[in-house]
Amino acid sequence: MRSVQTLVAAALLLLPAYDVASAAEPKQGGILRIYHRDSPGGASIHEGATFSINAPFMPVFNNLVMFDQSKAQNSADTLVPDLAESWAWSSDNKKLTFKLKQGVKWHDGKPFTSADVKCTFDMVMGKSEQKFRQNPRKSWYNEVNDVTTNGDFEASFNLKRPQPALLSLLASGYTPVYPCHVSPGDMRTKPTGTGPFKFVEFKANESIKLTKNTDYFKKGLPHLDGIEFTIITNRSTAILGFVAGKFDVTFPTHITIPLLKDVKSQSPNAVCVVEPTNVSTNIIVNSSSPPFDNVDVRRAMALALDRKAFISILFEGQGDIGGTMLPAPGGLWAMPKEMLEQIPGYGPDINANREGAKKLMQKAGYGPDKHLAVKVATRNIGEYRDPAVILIDQLKSIYIDAELDVVDTAQWFPKVARKDYMLGLNLTGNAVDDPDQSFYENYSCGSERNYTNYCNKEIEKLFDQQSQETDVAKRKKMVWDIDKKLQEDVARPIIFHARAGTCWQPYVKGVTIMVNSSYNGYRYEDVWMDK
Amino acid sequence: MAVINYDSELKRAGAHSTHGWRRLVFLAQRYMLGTIGLFIMVMFVWMAISADLICRFSPLSVDSTHRLAAPDALHWMGTDSFGRDVWSRIVHGARISLAVGIGATFLGSSIGVVVGLASGYLSGWVDLLFQRITDILQALPLLVLALVMTAALGPSLPNVIIAIAIPLIPTVARVIRANTLALRELPFVEAAKSIGMSETRIALRHVLPNTLAPLIVLATAQLGSTILTEASLSFLGLGIPEPYPSWGRMLSESAAEYVRTAPWLVIFPGVAISLAVFGTNLFGDALRDILDPRQRG
Amino acid sequence: MFAYIVRRLALMLVTLFGISIIIFVLLRIVPGNIVDILFDAAGFVDPADKANLEKELGLSDPIVVQYFRWIGGLLQGDLGYSYVSEKPALQEILPRIPITARLAGLALLFSASIGIPLGVISAVHQGTKLDYALRIVSLSGLSLPSFWLGLLILMASVSLFGMMPIFNPNPKTWTEAFAIYAVPAMAVGFRSAALTMRITRSSMLEILRQDFIRTARAKGASEASVNYRHALKNAILPVITVIGIEAAFLIGGLIVTETVFNIPGVARFLVEALRWRDYPIVQNLVMLIAVVVVFANFTVDMLYAVIDPRIRYGD
Repeated sequence: MRSVQTLVAAALLLLPAYDVASAAEPKQGGILRIYHRDSPGGASIHEGATFSINAPFMPVFNNLVMFDQSKAQNSADTLVPDLAESWAWSSDNKKLTFKLKQGVKWHDGKPFTSADVKCTFDMVMGKSEQKFRQNPRKSWYNEVNDVTTNGDFEASFNLKRPQPALLSLLASGYTPVYPCHVSPGDMRTKPTGTGPFKFVEFKANESIKLTKNTDYFKKGLPHLDGIEFTIITNRSTAILGFVAGKFDVTFPTHITIPLLKDVKSQSPNAVCVVEPTNVSTNIIVNSSSPPFDNVDVRRAMALALDRKAFISILFEGQGDIGGTMLPAPGGLWAMPKEMLEQIPGYGPDINANREGAKKLMQKAGYGPDKHLAVKVATRNIGEYRDPAVILIDQLKSIYIDAELDVVDTAQWFPKVARKDYMLGLNLTGNAVDDPDQSFYENYSCGSERNYTNYCNKEIEKLFDQQSQETDVAKRKKMVWDIDKKLQEDVARPIIFHARAGTCWQPYVKGVTIMVNSSYNGYRYEDVWMDK
Repeated sequence: MAVINYDSELKRAGAHSTHGWRRLVFLAQRYMLGTIGLFIMVMFVWMAISADLICRFSPLSVDSTHRLAAPDALHWMGTDSFGRDVWSRIVHGARISLAVGIGATFLGSSIGVVVGLASGYLSGWVDLLFQRITDILQALPLLVLALVMTAALGPSLPNVIIAIAIPLIPTVARVIRANTLALRELPFVEAAKSIGMSETRIALRHVLPNTLAPLIVLATAQLGSTILTEASLSFLGLGIPEPYPSWGRMLSESAAEYVRTAPWLVIFPGVAISLAVFGTNLFGDALRDILDPRQRG
Repeated sequence: MFAYIVRRLALMLVTLFGISIIIFVLLRIVPGNIVDILFDAAGFVDPADKANLEKELGLSDPIVVQYFRWIGGLLQGDLGYSYVSEKPALQEILPRIPITARLAGLALLFSASIGIPLGVISAVHQGTKLDYALRIVSLSGLSLPSFWLGLLILMASVSLFGMMPIFNPNPKTWTEAFAIYAVPAMAVGFRSAALTMRITRSSMLEILRQDFIRTARAKGASEASVNYRHALKNAILPVITVIGIEAAFLIGGLIVTETVFNIPGVARFLVEALRWRDYPIVQNLVMLIAVVVVFANFTVDMLYAVIDPRIRYGD
């Protein structure tokens, strides 16, 4: 499953001694030094929507359940207990009950009980007195009626209809359990959790420090004495710091493919992996006003995309082509290759595609003498701007003269919401590799993140059907069909799924970079250093 | 403050002839550095004007087969991460730098002249008000004010020009005001007044032309700093946005990623900025020596 | 003299008051506010949540009310709370000041110790090749963007030593402290040194032309004594002015240099805060910068009066 198994293998071959050591008893102690790519806006995971928050603060918390931190591919089969001892579905699959661990304490010494579970999810569902400043994942719990408790150590989620994916959502790094007795404001500035590490301090633009929770309920864990994140926004500086040995681990999935070679040549001993981030780069199309209200122009644009060229420029070939769901082998729900290539624009013959696109453009009244002028809006961030530049270059081949319209971060979503764009280059991150998360969030009628307001009642029904299906094989087939339809409708053309590198020094053990999510693998309780 | 007689100044400096091209040749020899500066400036202007003719490649065209290519015969300043030709981008970048440099200097100086003349000539409460505004604008460093202004106006070429022009106003206004005040006392202005010339006419006909020399000196000196400020703004991500190839932004992007892997992406835009500013500084110095002998070094 | 000081102080207050209004209004016309940025991370804007948050932060009040809330607090030493970190703005700004002050101090030291001697040498040897060479050096110094110089230093450091300085608030060794503070200070100071040198040179030249120098020469004072005892002593006056000018000049350089070297000082903090639309931080930082610049100029004028008894301020 590891995309860069060879790299790892090579590193291990070079260092057989470490290989032997890794099988040995984990050593205790040491402060793990990681650089952080930017300064998160706060410390409250429930109020954030970027793994800039998850990476440093997930170690402070526990979930009810989580994805096995040592397995790279998250799936329903890798769920392990965290604060819950065990869990069970009712016979009608509409009630999910957790038995909670006893004797767990919050970092401030207060006991953890089922009341905290109820508080957390009441707040996430917007049902409590205390409110988050912002609550980006409220819609995850649309099918949950309420959370009930039975004594101090049992909590149940009561659903409107069966939704097997709920467990995966609860296992995400985005779903920690918060204490009732700490206000949302305090959680943003000095979070209290039950997790393996306690929060020490967060200095904006400078550093985040965590220290070992000596009273952690998982005996013998964590191995490390603490974790220190140094915030360095300049990628070159950060990587040089790693190469110079000032950091033990790079920020997860932060090293671009072109820079990875440099890291490898500078620190040949470093262990590096390249994994999908489950962030798709896509085009949002404003189909409510000219020229993209014309379906021919939309289809032509989709046909003109040379996805391989994007991947070769931005990732030196190491990226993935797919639909909405993350492509295999990292992703669990992607449609087979043969099915994908039937979708217009995904066929291997780019020239033939573009000839077709030109015909569609001519049908719409454009041609060599009459180019269509459009603006491609995107954010002033490299990950957005870079593919936009390539997109503009490719659109030239079908009589479209596009100009880049770089939008400041503060204006991006208001602008998109106003429909004040023609084409937009957008990134969509998926916290959990599950169709429920990705379909409802991005394509269902009325969802806040459905920027293009794509609304298709037929497909909406299919969303619900797949969501209730408990047979995974059957569900997969349904998901493939939905994904194919979404692409054929040019609802939000997916250009590619990114991959990125993470490196650590050879003495760091127990780090696993997830292959189908960038949000769930940062508990760091099993990480240790062999030095 | 005295009115300058250029011919006598030239003679004093040792010129034998003060006519025609000989005068130019003399000036070029006497002010070698200034001539070099002028040459550099002309070169950049020429680059900006004929950018499309000089370049083999479009500054925007992406080439997936030549990414991060080191300088060679085809791309003689190498290519960036999209395979765009760095030389073409630098040549086209000259347009941005000059547009901002000249645009902001011109705008700032024009407003400064009006404010300075009005302030110096009208005195009274107008002067007092303008003086206080000048104080305020001068209490903030150029870059700080420009940063806040671009953030307020949004990143675009005209906005960057405005954001850099406004902090320039007080410096120009101060000099013009001082000159105007001094000129007002001079006999020929008094004379004009006594024959019944209107105040506005005196200001435009007599005072303004005589403040031109220090104005040109000042404007040339500021040209360099406007170019640098644009580069700094773009470097900080608040200047000219894509797709315009701005030297400062070229640096900020490559600095973040390719300091080690593709040093040419860091070196060439920096050389372009430094050279352009160096040229205007050399020329400005010589100009100051010629036009404003009081400050001659 | 006393009347003059009082008048100057009054004018300074007027200037600072004007700045407070300008900066406040400018920030309010910036499109998008902190709430948009906070919601940006969430990937969408919920209008109800947005309105709540704007109310909570006081952004929905009339601008005049917001202004007086800020100024009222400021006069009582209350700088408000950072929108992003939710900590008192003072607590965010104060710890960053020594870092930038140290850099600025080192840069000034560097610029004075290089710029003044070279300026004097250049003036004394006016018109020679040495003068020419020094003038070219100083002009090129003024032409190099300090962020580029910083980048070149980083590149050199990487290729020579295989590493680069990474900021550490508590440097353990002297070499580390040197790398952390002195190297960036030099990158900023280089430009200032060029400026100092130019101003020293031209003021030296002016003094050297003056009567009392001629008198000293006529009296048979040695050349060195004329240059360094008489002339430099008098030329130091305009050089003090440079420090006033450089207070503003340095801040611009520090902003980009702190960014290049990843130093968490106040100068870079301004850019970060501007990006986050963290008004309380931006407003107070701009006021801080204005106070520094205004007081630097005031101090320079006062020093003038103290050093040069010929200058008498009065109205």
